[in-house]
Amino acid sequence: MKTYAIYLAKRLLQFVLVVFIGINLTYVISHATPIDPVEQTISALTSFGNTSPEAIETMRESLRELYGMSGTPLEQYVSFWSRIVVGDFGPSLSAFPTPVSELILRALPWTIGLLVVATVLAWLLGNLLGGLAGYYRKNRLLKAMGLIAMGLHPMPYYVVAFVLLVVFGFLWPVLPISGGSGIGVGRGFSFDFISSVLLHSLLPALSLVVVGLGGWFLGMRALVSNIVTEDYVVYAELGGVDRRRILTSYVMRNALVPQVTGLAMSLGAIFTGAIITEEVFGYPGIGSLLVDAVHAGDYSLVLGITSVSIVAVSLAVLVIDLLYPLLDPRVQVE
Amino acid sequence: MPVLGTSVLGKPILRKIACAAVALLLGTAAYVPSAAEAQDVISSLPRKETLILENPEGTIKNAGWFNIWAINAGGQYTGLQQLAMDTLWYIDPEKGLEGPIDNSLAAEAPKYNADFTEMTVKLRSGIFWSDGVEFTADDVAYTVETQMKNTGMRWGPILSLNVDSVSAPDPQTVVFKLKRPNSRFHALFTVRFNAIWIMPKHVFEKAPDPMRFDFNKPVSLGAYALHSFDPEGKWFIWQRRDDWQRTTLGRFGEPGPKYAVYVDGGPPDKRVIAQMNHNMDVVHDVAPEGMFTLAKQSKSSRGWFKDFPYAHPDPTLPALLFNLQRADFQSKDVRWALALLIDIKAVSMASYRGAATISAIGIPPTGTHPDDYHIPMQDWLKNFELDTGKQKIKPYDPTVGKQIADMLRPSMKEQIPTDQAAIDKSFGMGWWKPNPQAAQELLQKAGFTKRGSNWYTPEGKPFSIRVMVEGESRPVITRAGTMIAQQWRQFGIDAKTELAQGTMLDRRNSGDFDTLISWSVESYGGHPDLAYFLDSWHSQYVAPAGKPQAPRNYMRWSSPELDGIIEKIRGVGFDDPRSIELGRDYVKLAVREMPTIPLMAYNVFVAMDDTYWTGYPTAEDPYANPVPNWGNSRYMMVRLKPRGE
Amino acid sequence: MLKIFRDLLRFNLEFAIGTLIVSIIVGLSVLSFFSPYPPEDIYVVAPDVPPSWEYWLGTTSRGQDVFWQMTAALRNTLLFGIAVAAISRVISLTIGLVSGYMGGMTDRVLMSINDTFIIIPLFPILVLFYFVMRDSMSWALLALIMAALGWAYDARLIRSVAMSLRTREFTSQCIFSGMSPRQIMTREHLPYVLPIVFSTTLNNMNWSIGMEVTLSVLGFTDINTPTIGSMLYWANQHTALVAGVWWWIAWPVIAVMLLFIGLYLLATALNEYIDPRSRLSRMGGAT
Repeated sequence: MKTYAIYLAKRLLQFVLVVFIGINLTYVISHATPIDPVEQTISALTSFGNTSPEAIETMRESLRELYGMSGTPLEQYVSFWSRIVVGDFGPSLSAFPTPVSELILRALPWTIGLLVVATVLAWLLGNLLGGLAGYYRKNRLLKAMGLIAMGLHPMPYYVVAFVLLVVFGFLWPVLPISGGSGIGVGRGFSFDFISSVLLHSLLPALSLVVVGLGGWFLGMRALVSNIVTEDYVVYAELGGVDRRRILTSYVMRNALVPQVTGLAMSLGAIFTGAIITEEVFGYPGIGSLLVDAVHAGDYSLVLGITSVSIVAVSLAVLVIDLLYPLLDPRVQVE
Repeated sequence: MPVLGTSVLGKPILRKIACAAVALLLGTAAYVPSAAEAQDVISSLPRKETLILENPEGTIKNAGWFNIWAINAGGQYTGLQQLAMDTLWYIDPEKGLEGPIDNSLAAEAPKYNADFTEMTVKLRSGIFWSDGVEFTADDVAYTVETQMKNTGMRWGPILSLNVDSVSAPDPQTVVFKLKRPNSRFHALFTVRFNAIWIMPKHVFEKAPDPMRFDFNKPVSLGAYALHSFDPEGKWFIWQRRDDWQRTTLGRFGEPGPKYAVYVDGGPPDKRVIAQMNHNMDVVHDVAPEGMFTLAKQSKSSRGWFKDFPYAHPDPTLPALLFNLQRADFQSKDVRWALALLIDIKAVSMASYRGAATISAIGIPPTGTHPDDYHIPMQDWLKNFELDTGKQKIKPYDPTVGKQIADMLRPSMKEQIPTDQAAIDKSFGMGWWKPNPQAAQELLQKAGFTKRGSNWYTPEGKPFSIRVMVEGESRPVITRAGTMIAQQWRQFGIDAKTELAQGTMLDRRNSGDFDTLISWSVESYGGHPDLAYFLDSWHSQYVAPAGKPQAPRNYMRWSSPELDGIIEKIRGVGFDDPRSIELGRDYVKLAVREMPTIPLMAYNVFVAMDDTYWTGYPTAEDPYANPVPNWGNSRYMMVRLKPRGE
Repeated sequence: MLKIFRDLLRFNLEFAIGTLIVSIIVGLSVLSFFSPYPPEDIYVVAPDVPPSWEYWLGTTSRGQDVFWQMTAALRNTLLFGIAVAAISRVISLTIGLVSGYMGGMTDRVLMSINDTFIIIPLFPILVLFYFVMRDSMSWALLALIMAALGWAYDARLIRSVAMSLRTREFTSQCIFSGMSPRQIMTREHLPYVLPIVFSTTLNNMNWSIGMEVTLSVLGFTDINTPTIGSMLYWANQHTALVAGVWWWIAWPVIAVMLLFIGLYLLATALNEYIDPRSRLSRMGGAT
């Protein structure tokens, strides 16, 4: 129990460190940006309408005050951390005065939904099939799958998403290629809405699964084919233990341990994939929101989203880490 | 898959997982055929009564915000500005339903006193907000007073600069007392693209802070009212009001579409796909290739012009803007040299694939402007002389428009007009003839030197120019910039394009560029007055280097001669013919000084699909501007008829 | 070295295919030096010509020959991958070796930082960097930033090898013979971790090239330099897909997909080579 407590403390510390470094990095970078939100706002405002130069000056003053852009950098930084602790990222500059947190909360469920389903699906399927492929090395079907996985795994998310978009949106236009649900479909727990959401998530989810699946498949296959040659497996086989039992209890279970670590390690990369996929399919999640925010020069929104992403991803990693000892009781702390 | 499930999987749990996976795949496969209509966007509205338009703002981050008077809070072109807002006058860049100027909420033209310090407006009666409250002069007065009190609101600063007081002596009369003479004050309430929209007093006065009030659901003064919207900001549905007669549009008859839907079109190819599948009736803009594809492959699609060049010319003039506060561009000889290195034919091909309306002078070649400026000034342009230091040349080539038409004719065949007037209208008239020899002489005159194949500045540094372009959101402009940079590069100047993307507006205003392709000239199109943009070019507004520049003099040109012209325009009325003369003086000055290199009209590839609706505004029937984010696109609604009627 | 290469070619099909693909790509990129047109120039040939005898892979709507454009793009893309990999190898080797050899507190601190970089989603940070750097965001700077962000995963792998080396007898002997930690790491340990450095290099190239394509397609890089990503960027700008100019998109996508597969196959083959158990089972003719 004591070792678990130490393990726990270490993981928590790591979590805090990731969040601290990550958010500071974001803050520093985003405050070095040349984009001035006040100028951006004024430009957008005046690019069509009839506004005299004198009026702009007055407007500039009002906006600086409104956006809370005054104060020394240190003051801005201190107030930033004091606000971030309570989850207050201030008002969005490009959707003033709506709070950033409100925009993020609106987008987050889409991303989490897409990400969790796609990641879990890819991980389970990939490991299952990969495990089988490693154990039954002569099965032709599984070998063929190995080849496909080899071809798909190294593809970047963008290329896969783009190819799917071309195929199902243009060459054989059967699936929706933008948005999170159909136009005019009311919100609520109705068949229309749920089926529309599922349909719209099909292509984005598929691209995430396609890329993810191959990696887990290949990893698991390699692990299992190594474990199969371990002495204890050989003894079990010689001892006449049922092969299915060997596969599930002797081989898969041990092979899953590093795959869980792998999942924790790659969550950041998967999140990156989700951002890109959302952008390709115009999915209304946090990725599209981020790209929008960067384009609009919206400091507070960019900071909010990046911070929330960092916290969310490291939180997910923490959860996996905490569950890890349950799967692998050998976890010992040096 | 099934083979696998039976042959190798014995363990129940694994088998279950496998079965589930198979079921999922089969389920998906089974769902796909029924999804053939998946891309047929709207399920809940009768398609035949619905008009679908593109909102070029894309996804609205803050969809539930309809307070258009607060700055940048929510969407504006979601149908809000086009269908729910109204104000005193509208001016159309085209012919208009009954002339370019429409008295909307105002019953007649504005009345100024003799020294332009007071404006009196008579309002229409019998106009109602969508919640049944009558519109009166109090709403107008409230709009002005509220924004004057809150300078952070969209039109607050400009109103407080101009207005001393506003009063409503009776429900149909508003009197503006101005702080200083302004013969063009009414322009603030005249919709070109937008204008100061009138606020519903009875709604806003209940809100504690008008800047933090979301105005959801919006009370409409237009013929449509909000039906529903996507909380993620991808679509907004507007429904025709039952009492549409009680709006200003009611004078022109019943609006055709019962529902108007403004949607996020996504990237250009998605928009083209959507229109080919008849899921988007009006596309705001696509790349030229997208328009050509639609014209070729979709029988029901058309642009503003039935044939090439298809696009609608906005009264906006993309030009190459120099940053005149940078040392390299101080000399007009350098600016002229760079202009003479541009082959406008290649730029037209590269940007619009020829579908551009070029202009050598700083006025958009659209609407009535050619009659007032371009055509009468041809002779002056032909005789204009430029001294390169070694020789005198006449740089103007009046046949460039014709050359472009001739160049396109072999591939576009009869789509290209042969009539000279039609060519002038579609492709523009003349431009500067490329003249590398003169350019070389001009550069040398300015102290630049050529060593090897590269040019050096008088300080001995390599002559390097960055051409800033916006990127994906304005593909045509981006291509024009790329072509110009290449032409300069081939002459030995280190020129490169620079992609500004979202920082474009910001950098343009802060003067953080060498040159950029943008517009500092915007005009009415249907009216010769130039003060709309020219007044802001007065040197009193030019910011020192490093400080943000107010629109629209982004090149920061300051010229005492120009100031003189502007001051004279301020002293003459809006419809005074003398202002045209002064406008021509501005053109001549700008040609001599070359503060910007004017290129072409901003042509917008609006694509309209008549599968469900007919009667769109077109070049043959130019009753309104079809570009769907312009406020005056609302006039389209009363002319649209369902197909088959 | 040559002998290993020959063995790999003979016994390892993946290695053979990977070598073939990568050689083709490298060959194509070398051809770029013989291009008849400067790769940045537009409207040098007739636009929108489908693949034909004259233009093997067709021409773009910008009047560029897809074949020559692609050779330049592949060259730049490949160089970019190599640059990122080379710089990030330096970081990951240093951190990995030091962490593995020193152990204890140094190890813990370094690995905490290391894990932070593994966990943080990098894409938003890269996009942010682009907006800060803008036009100064050159090809080289992007490579540097990518390298500074993309070393962590491989540092962990190298550390694990270095840790196992630390407990080996020869390390103790080195210490007794008075070698400094730096000498031990560079002279004794480095050769042992080199094989794993090779295989991670290939995977790192895949990662950085993938990122570069993604960033360019979104217009977040210098679009004047032809790369596979900027080719796709311009194709999208001209709605090549709906305009029927499919060859402008298809060829670069196919080329870059082949490159990914090639690099990946090489990396896998090398990994297997490093792990003798699977090498034996292969050479022993299993299946």
